[in-house]
Amino acid sequence: MRILLDKFCKSFGTTSVIEDMQLEVGSGEMLALLGPSGCGKSTTLFAICGIHRPTSGRILFGDRDVTNLPSQARNVGVVFQSYALYPHMTVEENIGFPLKVKRLATANIKQQVAEIAKLVQIDNLLGRRPGQLSGGQQQRVALARALIRRPDVLLLDEPLANLDAKLRLEMRSEIRRLQRETGITAILVTHDQVEAMSMCDRIAIMNKGEIVQIASPSDMYNDPRTAFVAGFLGNPPISFLKGRAEQGAFVLRDGGLKLPLPALSGIADGTELTLGVRPEHFGVAGGIPVEGRVTFAETQGRENLYDVVLPDGSVLRSIQPVRDDVKPGAQVRWMLDSSSTFVFAEDGRRL
Amino acid sequence: MKTSRMLGLVMIAPAAIIILLFFLMPVILTAVFAMTNMSTATGISAGAYQVTQAAVNRLKTDMPELAAGISEPRFVIDEDGLTQLDALKLKPGFTAELRASHLGEVFLSRREAERMIKSLKERPSTREVKQISDVFNRSVMNTRFEDRAALMESLAKLGFKLSPQDEEKVSRATYTGWIWTADNFRTIANSQDMGQILLNTGFYVAVTLLLFNVGYALLLAVTTHYMPASTASVFRAIWLLPRITPVVIYVLMWKWLTWDNGFISLFMGLFGHPPKNYLLDSAGSAWFFVILINGFIGASMGMLVFSSAIKAIPQTHFYASEVDGANRWQQIRYIILPQLRWPILFVTCYQTLSLLASFNEILLSTRGGPGRSTEVWSLAAYHTALQNYTGNLEYGLGAAMALVLVVVGVILSLIYLRVFRYDTLVTKPLIED
Repeated sequence: MRILLDKFCKSFGTTSVIEDMQLEVGSGEMLALLGPSGCGKSTTLFAICGIHRPTSGRILFGDRDVTNLPSQARNVGVVFQSYALYPHMTVEENIGFPLKVKRLATANIKQQVAEIAKLVQIDNLLGRRPGQLSGGQQQRVALARALIRRPDVLLLDEPLANLDAKLRLEMRSEIRRLQRETGITAILVTHDQVEAMSMCDRIAIMNKGEIVQIASPSDMYNDPRTAFVAGFLGNPPISFLKGRAEQGAFVLRDGGLKLPLPALSGIADGTELTLGVRPEHFGVAGGIPVEGRVTFAETQGRENLYDVVLPDGSVLRSIQPVRDDVKPGAQVRWMLDSSSTFVFAEDGRRL
Repeated sequence: MKTSRMLGLVMIAPAAIIILLFFLMPVILTAVFAMTNMSTATGISAGAYQVTQAAVNRLKTDMPELAAGISEPRFVIDEDGLTQLDALKLKPGFTAELRASHLGEVFLSRREAERMIKSLKERPSTREVKQISDVFNRSVMNTRFEDRAALMESLAKLGFKLSPQDEEKVSRATYTGWIWTADNFRTIANSQDMGQILLNTGFYVAVTLLLFNVGYALLLAVTTHYMPASTASVFRAIWLLPRITPVVIYVLMWKWLTWDNGFISLFMGLFGHPPKNYLLDSAGSAWFFVILINGFIGASMGMLVFSSAIKAIPQTHFYASEVDGANRWQQIRYIILPQLRWPILFVTCYQTLSLLASFNEILLSTRGGPGRSTEVWSLAAYHTALQNYTGNLEYGLGAAMALVLVVVGVILSLIYLRVFRYDTLVTKPLIED
């Protein structure tokens, strides 16, 4: 089902958290709300499920205006960060709770619980209590509880934050599998860009209560609209160099590096600029040589990560296939792929 | 190893002494008093021997002849009487003849004694006969003997011949001091009054607990939970007022409300009802107000305990249940109440014990009345032992009643500790000795 937030505003007392948000999630789509903590992404999620009421604006499920409906009347499924499983109920009672409050027949509930439990692969744990489950199992119970009433939209609030690294990987694909199998519209709230990129069809990246950019993960990675977006996506993160425009080229502050860039034609000389260089675009391949000193080297098994300090003190990150000829302290002359860099104006706007 | 254990004993000694003096000793003394028949009548020190009408009545069933004999005066010609006779300045021949030929004689009735006196050689006049017989009139009735030997000696002088068993019976019947006895418990077990008081107590504890200390407290906790924080704290503060008002003043306000020219009477007067004391009008209305007074004071504790327990439920559980479609009632029924199981049990246990032991509100309001309809066990113990209308304070019986309460309390505590699984709540000390 399509979800539409139209001129959505939310403030708590005098503190305005979200102003004039416009967001549409297509039917069957999985969308990530990505952003640093405090950017309003959970507030948006709570408004969609009805825990918070919008200060102004409309929320539509399909063509139905649910703006003033309480949670109970909205038919949403939510997986909370803490899972919020009821500790005094068994797994079966937890999953069946949304049906129980609808006063469905016990046999009917039992059958539906069995089906959904099989889907999330916890059908052998139905008699246990939440306290007797591992984090991953609790996660699956929470998913099953959210899915059992066949909600119009599945809302996931940082669902993987409390899991260990291996389980996080596993649940990532698991949640995606369930979302695809059920064909449900889903919104994932996360501050982890890897989660957002790996699980979702589109990402809405938020900062200070505003959606900065909505795009598919690869579009957003390759074509960030602002320096904030470029800085948020990518692991290891992008590095930024401060400089200015000079005859259609980016020049580092001390003049030690000069990059002719097509994007800079028509920009007045002396304009302050920021250059974004992803670690994979600085290394052995590329057109422009850059000299610097390695201050940090880290091996990640398949690849090595280096921090290179340029003469003016700014830092470039580089990720390369494993090599062991470069140690911290070494002077290096590596190549920069200028065509893959991003140039941002002083206000963060991409040029 | 040894020193740490010693140190532990030294450290705990002050607490142990205080526990012994102020916690255990009252119970032990209660138990000791419960095994006596101490009362105002017996006093608390040793008593004396006294042949009262009550003592004679006690003897009547076992020894009717002796009882009849003791209750009638006898006439004994003894030195005391002769000395008194001399002082009457009658003819000296009377004294001499009585001493010579009748000393030690016992006459069972005035008629027999006077017949003997009439036959004296100097022929006393009828008036003299009366005077003479009066000085020999001897009775143990209402005479106080400091010890048993003195009583027996007097009885022997009066011509009563008693076997050792009879002596034992007589001394027991005439002893005015307290004795060791288990009669108190027999009284408690057999008395109809006690059964009624027990029923009263059960009714009072159960109804107050169910309606107010748990039920009303739950209602307050749940409703304040759904209120905005500031409104909720105002409400909680209001419901704490009965608890923090001095109980004497609080009960006095209830009395103002309920007595003949109190608020209720004035109000009902508007509709033509004659004024009456609503507090003591009937057993039903007395119970109504007794339970209201105790309930409003007692509900505050449950409210605080339940409120904080509800606060301890993570907010996301409420969010989750709303999203799951639960309405407010279902939220209370399925999310809040199941998680309040332990607080409810705790408040039930704690308040049962305190309701069983407390009687001050009842004492201040109805004094157990009208009649004895709102008399509960602890109040009855107080009335029996420390204050009652007849003036005979039965310390022993009162102590026995209090002891019953202590035993019931201990048994209930043990049951509750088991239900709470107290052992699982206490972790072993980390320091090994």
